[in-house]
Amino acid sequence: MSSISLLLVAIFLPLFPFSMVFNRLFARIASAPMRIALLLAWPSIGLVLLSALGNTLPTWVAYWSVATALLYAFRALALRDLALWLSHIATSAWALLWLPAVFDETARASAWPVAAFSVPLVLLAWLTGYLERTYGAAYAGSLGGLATGAPRLAGLLVFTVLAAIGTPLFPGFFVLLNMIGVSLNTTPATALAVLAVWMLWAWAGVRILQGLIVGPPNDTAQADIGPTQTGILGMVMAAFAAGGIWLSGGLA
Amino acid sequence: MNQPMAYLILVPLATAVVGWWLRSHSDRTTARVSIAGTVVTFLIALFALGLALTGTPVEQIAIGPSWGSLLFDPLSTLMAVVISGISLIVHVYSRRYMAGERGYARFFMLLDLMTATLLLMVSAGDLITLLVAWHLVGVLLYFLLGQEMTNPTAHRYAAWTFLTYRFGDLPLVLAAVLLYQAFGTWSLPAIFDALAQAPDSRTLFDLPLAESVATLLALSVFARSAQFLLHTWLPYTMSGPTPVSALMHAGIVNAGGFLINRFAPLFVHTEGVLHWLFIVGLVTAVVGSVLMLAQNDIKKALGYSTMGQMGFMVMECGVGAFSLAVYHLIAHGLFKGTLFLGAGGVIRQARQNDGVPKDDLYTFVVERRPAGVRRPWLLMAAVTLVVPATILVLAHWLVANDFFQRQGAVVLLFFGWVTGAQLIFATYRMRTENTWRLLGLILISFTIVVVGYTLIAHAFDVFLYPDEAFRAQIYASAGIDIFWFDVLVILVALVVVFGWLITYYAQNNGGRRDLQATSIWRSFYTLIAREFYVAAAYRRLSDALLGAAARLNVMLRWS
Repeated sequence: MSSISLLLVAIFLPLFPFSMVFNRLFARIASAPMRIALLLAWPSIGLVLLSALGNTLPTWVAYWSVATALLYAFRALALRDLALWLSHIATSAWALLWLPAVFDETARASAWPVAAFSVPLVLLAWLTGYLERTYGAAYAGSLGGLATGAPRLAGLLVFTVLAAIGTPLFPGFFVLLNMIGVSLNTTPATALAVLAVWMLWAWAGVRILQGLIVGPPNDTAQADIGPTQTGILGMVMAAFAAGGIWLSGGLA
Repeated sequence: MNQPMAYLILVPLATAVVGWWLRSHSDRTTARVSIAGTVVTFLIALFALGLALTGTPVEQIAIGPSWGSLLFDPLSTLMAVVISGISLIVHVYSRRYMAGERGYARFFMLLDLMTATLLLMVSAGDLITLLVAWHLVGVLLYFLLGQEMTNPTAHRYAAWTFLTYRFGDLPLVLAAVLLYQAFGTWSLPAIFDALAQAPDSRTLFDLPLAESVATLLALSVFARSAQFLLHTWLPYTMSGPTPVSALMHAGIVNAGGFLINRFAPLFVHTEGVLHWLFIVGLVTAVVGSVLMLAQNDIKKALGYSTMGQMGFMVMECGVGAFSLAVYHLIAHGLFKGTLFLGAGGVIRQARQNDGVPKDDLYTFVVERRPAGVRRPWLLMAAVTLVVPATILVLAHWLVANDFFQRQGAVVLLFFGWVTGAQLIFATYRMRTENTWRLLGLILISFTIVVVGYTLIAHAFDVFLYPDEAFRAQIYASAGIDIFWFDVLVILVALVVVFGWLITYYAQNNGGRRDLQATSIWRSFYTLIAREFYVAAAYRRLSDALLGAAARLNVMLRWS
């Protein structure tokens, strides 16, 4: 395992400060399809590179990864822009993907945790694009009142944010539980850090939701999402949750 | 035989989906479907309890390969009846109370989902199912409390609740993982069997497994049952709809007592955790009751009253009276639910009649009625001290001759005596035209309550923990050294009697005010009025954290 290959993986499964590359790039992209492509491609490249790393990873990588996850989860607390929020949560979540790789070499090439963290973020990126197209910005606080003005959109936002912050029964919950399990025996501090990340995600999630869906309806015309699109996204979320429940059978 | 447990969860889930589907038809249809489903759920729960009462053996039904199992046992069936019963009352009350409100159908769907989740929680047969249900209760409660989507205040406090619950979820996750790593299974009965075989198992840092897991469980209980320092969410969530307050105070907040009972086979192998439960419960009971007295808002006062009751419930677990805690949570659920649902009526009544007792002079001069009389205080003091103790001792002797051998029973007896004496003492202070009649009625009520409570608690004990040796083991693990136990009982008795003497002195010297004492009293009152600054400290902390996060973002240019 060369240092260069490790650093390369640290860009795609972001470790601070290399994580800034992804966040800078994501902030520059305004198109929703491009953001979605980036959210799908970035961790996938990281996963491929990670599985190519031959040797056992040192334990300090685990500490580095949870420190990055904590940093971005903490910073997400103060973010009001939904696009920035999701890029920070993505960075925080992907950083945690190092943990199974450090503690369980057999789990290194598993795409399941990547999908569990990335799918809700992809859906959220699509919703962010919709908000930006319709209202000019997806900014918590200035938008507000979506639950009253655009209930279908608000409902989808609620489910995707809950999925992104690792709420059961979504797959992120089972992945986090597995991460705590694999790290607790070797480095209890990292397991505790994962729990702290989980707590910060919950706080950040509630704050962003409150800024978007709560309050009196916005002055601008509240254009709700269409029933067909809602149905499709709802089914994707339901299938995603069902898949998580099905695959979590392997926890034992 | 355990199929009812599966239907118990499926019925409210189905009504949530069907009700939501029918919302375009009419809101009333949604409510009817939801109530009908809850009636069916309640009937199934009664049937399941009937099966458990007739001695149907404990069974586990597995749905998934590694998790998703349900447990049919006395605790789950009893709790299922309580949850579905309270849920039914809340459903029926909400039908008219929420009429005309925005999100009427959503409210009933959330109520149904909450009912299903609570039922899943109490009947979970493995750790993952328990974790899933435990987490989801917090999520659903957030949306129920924030039902009024245009009210940011309601959502702010709902978020407090959600975050406190999430904080309490984390130790439970750790406890579950530790147990899984120790025994290689998520199944609760399998874990308890393995623990009984190897009670001295060790875990991380060579710590005793049972003690470590029990400590983590206790932390979860403290957050869920609003114990002191993790209580601020409870009295502040009154902006939510009244039926949700009733459901929360009558059912959800009691989950701590359930969790301790579910893990009773683990707690019997601990040494110090139950003592901590007792101390935290005691502090919470005292603080909750004191803060309740300082409130002028009926719903907030009820919130602090619940906090005090939760303190008592945890304290009961701390003395080893696990099944009494279950009885307590049921009794508390019923009376607190009634109080919340009747709060509106009380407020309306208070607008018509303030209910403030009239001054003696006013009664005599204006209303031309004789002022109340007081009996000699020495006689009343004797009645105050002797009568409650006699009733309590006799009631306990009825169910167990050897109750003096159990420290937990003595502690509860002591608290019963203090409460009874306080009641009679308060009667003495009340001026009434017929003291003996009032006193007689109070004594009859007290006797009924004590005897009823003791007998029912004993019945719960036998039903939930039929193995007598296991019951004795619970009390034994809650016990402390007999010398220190006696010292503590005497010390607390002296403090209580001293408190009564001060009250008596203050009553008889009402005119004279000690300046220093007044100043201390004012400082104390300020402290209470500010709720010990706990909520303010949390607010400061959260503001500081958010400020730090914002500064970090600026420093790192949001990347």
